[in-house]
Amino acid sequence: MSAQLLLFQVLNGLGIGMIYFLLSVGLTLIFGLMRFVNFAHGAFYLVAAYLAFAITQATGSFWWALLIAPIAVGLLALVVERILLRHTYKMAHEVQILITFGVALFAQEAVIFAFGPQAQNVPMPAALSGIVFLGPYVYPAYRLAVVGCVAVIAILLWIVVERTKLGATLRAGSENTEMVSLLGINVDRVFMITFALGGALAGLAGVLAAPIRGVEPFMSAEALGIAFVVVVVGGLGTLSGALLGGLLIGFVQSIMSTLWPQGAQLMIYAAMAIVILTRPAGLMGRA
Amino acid sequence: MKRRTFIQGMAATPFALAAPRAVSTASADAAPLDIAAVYSLSGTFANVGALMNDGSKWAFEHYGDVLGRKLNYVLVDDRGDAGEAVRRVQELMTQNNVKHVIGCTNSAIGLAVQKEVFARGGVYINQAGADEVTGKDCNRASFRWPVASYSAVNATVRPLIEQFPNAKRWYTITGQYVFGDSLLTNCKALFKEKGVEHVGNSYHSLSDREYSGYIATALAASPDVLAICNFGNQTLDVVRQAISYGVKRNAKILAIWSTGLDQYQALGPENCEGVYFGCNFWHGVDSADGRTIGDIVKQKTGNVPNYLQACGFAVAQVLIEGIRKANSVEPAAVISALEGMTYEGPTGTETIRKEDHQVIKPYYLMLGKAKSAMKDANDFADVISATKAFLPPDQTGCKMT
Repeated sequence: MSAQLLLFQVLNGLGIGMIYFLLSVGLTLIFGLMRFVNFAHGAFYLVAAYLAFAITQATGSFWWALLIAPIAVGLLALVVERILLRHTYKMAHEVQILITFGVALFAQEAVIFAFGPQAQNVPMPAALSGIVFLGPYVYPAYRLAVVGCVAVIAILLWIVVERTKLGATLRAGSENTEMVSLLGINVDRVFMITFALGGALAGLAGVLAAPIRGVEPFMSAEALGIAFVVVVVGGLGTLSGALLGGLLIGFVQSIMSTLWPQGAQLMIYAAMAIVILTRPAGLMGRA
Repeated sequence: MKRRTFIQGMAATPFALAAPRAVSTASADAAPLDIAAVYSLSGTFANVGALMNDGSKWAFEHYGDVLGRKLNYVLVDDRGDAGEAVRRVQELMTQNNVKHVIGCTNSAIGLAVQKEVFARGGVYINQAGADEVTGKDCNRASFRWPVASYSAVNATVRPLIEQFPNAKRWYTITGQYVFGDSLLTNCKALFKEKGVEHVGNSYHSLSDREYSGYIATALAASPDVLAICNFGNQTLDVVRQAISYGVKRNAKILAIWSTGLDQYQALGPENCEGVYFGCNFWHGVDSADGRTIGDIVKQKTGNVPNYLQACGFAVAQVLIEGIRKANSVEPAAVISALEGMTYEGPTGTETIRKEDHQVIKPYYLMLGKAKSAMKDANDFADVISATKAFLPPDQTGCKMT
């Protein structure tokens, strides 16, 4: 591999990694605070992607989809949490996994019922459908915009988590929920907000990914798999871990696409295995 | 006479498909005939399996009965797992005495099921694409409707090489499994024959959804043509991502095996324009049977038929018409009837080659057109060529057992 191609694959890996970060950050927030294993995370990504498809079809504008779909999915997550999931917080992880897996299957079947089993296209916004030149290589303008958008979201999330009262509550809650509760903070409400935020972030990832990958009813499984890998690599419950994990997986996948194409996907899981063996709590996780 | 819709010559009339219902002789006393249909309704290729399943079911509804026995559709959802498919078929054949099997969603499943059906004395009509199905792994029980990967490559890559003699550098992106490898092997042989430089290949796994790394590697090789050796949603993703990375600026894109209309719809005209696709069936090609399928699909979905629906229909049709011709449901008689049978199929007059049980039919090379050039919502592409490109029987490697 030439140095030029290597450099491009690193840049490409950065783009992939930022998308993976967005995909996994909601999952890590939910687990970090609530110690809740959310197998429905991919379902929120799926539903948002299909909402993006429907809204773009109806309005002819991707921007409306970008505005409406994450909020709608955040509200959907809130409803699911209120009606179903909050009753499982004190139950074993196995129960949570089963129930959220059921929610994911329901969402998948609902999407097939509503839109059919075929894949669909979400056109890129016209203003971002071109390419930009990076030396001898080209990079899609839309992906560049997604990288910028996710970078802004990462900064905003960092500010919220590290510099606001809500963030302090979230961090304290992730350390000791009972103590936070004794201090008079309504933990139930914090859980609800966190779950809705996690769902909205998964929804945002679904909307942004739709023009890159199209939409199809089984896309949630891949998204969930990647999100879990990123969270495990970065460390469960840490924002910086999700970013680092996403970027690492993006770099591995992109560079291995040239070095050992048939093993690129395998190397994602090999990277995860190496991290688990050397740092069981993840790169940024606390043991 | 009317029972035999496959009599040569007669089959060319529109009555070929209308006849089965008209001459239905179903008897209330006759036991239903169970026919197993093996499709993946979940997993990577579930979108493919679901539409093929629709096509097969609609064929059963269309025919209703055969030789006075009601057709009973027994769906086997293999969940994308060849092992599961074999287990379920084995169960049906041993415990329920099912002898007639149709369908498969990918080549790995098709190959596994055809061995099982042969071993248990049944008859199997499938739509696997890998050469082995009618090549070294052929057997007397199994028949294949779509073309083999050899045919797909020679009906798409060859005309493109001849049309663009200056396009000397080809890069391939290949799904690493039986069918992808089969397409790649045929590409390599053709590149060698035509003196074309194969500047590289990127294999990817069946679980990949992100192809930008492979596309960057391909771009670094400066190809004139990027050929995709795969099928299903992964092909869509590669096309979509290749276009977003500007591949079309300096190279042509060829999806050697596409499923046609449903994939064009999934890509949208902006991603189809200027892209070459290979395809087994196109609703715009007129034929008597194609019109019948068109009417059925229009009634069911309000739309025109796509390849997957037509293919699902075709495998069921071949079996049912074979039973009619044999005037028996016994697998041995049906197999004998199918060998050499000529009939009016979805692409026109089709023949089943006796030597390897391959249906001889055309494969289309299509070119996606601009949205502004589309005459209607389904007019995504023009047929550039229709080619019947098949290995001579003595070169397929098929030793019929």
